Amino acid sequence: MDATTQFFEELGTRGHEPLLEKATGTIRFELTNGKRKARWLVTVEKGDVTVSHGNARADCVTRGDQAVFEQIVTGEENAMAAVLRGAVAVEGKPELLVHFQRLFPGPRRS
Amino acid sequence: MNGGLVQILDGNTFVVSDSRGDIEASLTDPTGLFSFDSRFLSSWILTVNAQRLNPLSVDDLQYFEARFFLVPGTGTVYVDSKLSVIRRRAVGDGFHEELTILNHDEKPADLKVRIDAASDFADLFEVKDALEKKGKYSTQVRNGSLHLRYERETYKRQTTISASAPAKLDRKGLTFDVHVEPHASWTTDLDVVTAAGAGGTYIRPKYERGERRARPNMERSLERWLEDAPRLECDWDPLKVTYRRSLVDLAALRFAPPISGGRSLPAAGLPWFMTMFGRDSIFTSLQALPFTPELAATTIQALGDWQGSRVDDFRDEDPGRILHEMRYGEMTAFEERPHSPYYGAADATPLYVVLLDEYERWTGDRKLVRAFEREARAALSWIDDYADLMGNGYISYQRRNEQTGLENQCWKDSWDSISYRDGRIPGFPRATCELQGYAYDAKVRGARLAREIWKDPAFADGLERQAADLKRRFNRDFWVADGEYFALGLDNEGKQIDALASNNGHLLWSGIVDKSKAKSVARHLMGPRLFSGWGVRTLAEGEGRYNPIGYHVGTVWPFDCSFIAWGLRRYGFKDEAAVIAAGILDAAEFFDGRLPEAFGGYERGVTKYPVQYPTACSPQAWSTGTPLLLLRTMLGLEPQGDHLIVDPALAENIGLLALLDIPGRWGRVDAFARGRVEVAPELRRRAPA
Repeated sequence: MDATTQFFEELGTRGHEPLLEKATGTIRFELTNGKRKARWLVTVEKGDVTVSHGNARADCVTRGDQAVFEQIVTGEENAMAAVLRGAVAVEGKPELLVHFQRLFPGPRRS
Repeated sequence: MNGGLVQILDGNTFVVSDSRGDIEASLTDPTGLFSFDSRFLSSWILTVNAQRLNPLSVDDLQYFEARFFLVPGTGTVYVDSKLSVIRRRAVGDGFHEELTILNHDEKPADLKVRIDAASDFADLFEVKDALEKKGKYSTQVRNGSLHLRYERETYKRQTTISASAPAKLDRKGLTFDVHVEPHASWTTDLDVVTAAGAGGTYIRPKYERGERRARPNMERSLERWLEDAPRLECDWDPLKVTYRRSLVDLAALRFAPPISGGRSLPAAGLPWFMTMFGRDSIFTSLQALPFTPELAATTIQALGDWQGSRVDDFRDEDPGRILHEMRYGEMTAFEERPHSPYYGAADATPLYVVLLDEYERWTGDRKLVRAFEREARAALSWIDDYADLMGNGYISYQRRNEQTGLENQCWKDSWDSISYRDGRIPGFPRATCELQGYAYDAKVRGARLAREIWKDPAFADGLERQAADLKRRFNRDFWVADGEYFALGLDNEGKQIDALASNNGHLLWSGIVDKSKAKSVARHLMGPRLFSGWGVRTLAEGEGRYNPIGYHVGTVWPFDCSFIAWGLRRYGFKDEAAVIAAGILDAAEFFDGRLPEAFGGYERGVTKYPVQYPTACSPQAWSTGTPLLLLRTMLGLEPQGDHLIVDPALAENIGLLALLDIPGRWGRVDAFARGRVEVAPELRRRAPA
């Protein structure tokens, strides 16, 4: 299993995430891998989190290469820098992603 | 204006031009159109019949708008004074310029009007450090617009230029063949639109979605802003000028970060620091609380939303840590700089809790305090879990990013700001004294919030015990017995960094000082080694590194003095606080009410004039907030429950002072005072002999 799938599946088991308590809305992550597209739909209701592959209308859509997301969810890449660089595109409400990015790990320390 | 340059801005978009309205930047020359920390225009030069124009006058209509009156010709001899040219420019997602040419002659005029345009798309950090670009440039004329582009991998920036009048476009600009009848005029609108790209598309600026032209983004007009602030009446006219200047500049310094729902917080300084800074936004919000409490609310929210959540050495990030600085430019995007955001400040985190409590004391907004309970607790935990680098119970700092991180993570952040009496520089980690004061205050205030609002008395008890223990240890370990003041800090061996510095005043503000020691601290602050007659020097005269024009080693910082005055009041030194307020407000008069970041530490009686320290940023947020906090300390404004206590002490020359409609949990109240504190005559400004 790739790290991105692991990250979202693990997130789905948490039920409640305190770092997202001020967030309400849905974020769709669209990950491109060649011609394949993977979708993750994260719904947050004051910290209560559900994760699915749905294609519902989202308040915030985040797009990028699967490879970039692999690096983000393993802490090798910083999400905000990736957004500034254009490696990850954000549409809709960026504040949802600002809350969400707190869940990504830091880099491994040498 | 700044050194002949004209600045207009809206949030973090700003234009710096010369007095003709032209932009002619080099990599190191700070003119241009800037947005989100990138330059979008480095060249914007107007010619009429191949000639540059001469400035007659410039109107800074508003902080986001300027008008340039020009005539053709160069030098002192006007080649053709039968023409006038007016450029009226407003900034907002780029800028909008209305170019008008008036023909005063009895004959028609046929003119070639040309605008040369180009962009180097430099990152602000590159402008500062003169670095080379790594991406590719392209220009294109398409659909009646000139597109300037820069691309580096997925990073894309674009400037689009168009005109309302018929123009010939080429890749270096626009040309107009203009015919103007006698005593008639010709005009065109010019739009310069900035866009940032991601994933093959560009984020469209709003006026491509229906708005007709660039306009300021600020949610409230300047008039509304001024109307909502308390009204000041005073016998001493300069104070009225300073007060109004502060409010107008604070309006200009408002910055709406992308995640604040359009609400604004104070950015650090104009124009180069129009971004979120933890420390600067918190200090300025504290200063402005009695006047514009909504700035504090946004600061609490935005800094809380960006609170650190992981350990990241490159960004000096820890869980619970409050950010130091956020940047959006290319070098940050490619992680050549750590500002996405950077967390290397040791004071912002405890100060965050201080602001949250002070905000509630003024506004009674319990809802916000409840909403940010988690963040406040995380900030309090950071003090104990991450900031105690030496394991001695004190906050200390040492950067983990040794390439591009900050060495000194306190407000005195220049390399030589922290020294021993003999001028030696200590090793790392360093535990500067004011950090311990802020930590103490954060624990005391956190305890109040825990008891009264979060309803967690056990947590409150624990914080109070910690605070009492910290205070006891601090008064023992930092007290320089032979000098009777607090050391600037403890070094990496736990020994005192024994220089006498203005930080002692922040200790009074924090409340960490034992009552028995307060008198000697106040005596030092008001004594000849620290007090210049204008204000308190950052470092005392006679210390090894003292230099009256050294950035943090002898200059007087108005912001520093405003917190020192607040500290003096806290310990009952009302008249001393009034003397400092009088000195700083006298200095403000020399700068038309706009206090600089710092001025020289020269003795007032010697120079008779506050010598400005040369810095690029003006106005600067916490200098702008200084007169506001000084008004608070002079009037002795202090919330007590649902009431506002007024206990004035102000200099005699101010005369009658009234501050009307002070907002807070009491609704709106008025405060009245009469100057009665005599300020020693040798400290007052006299006419030059």
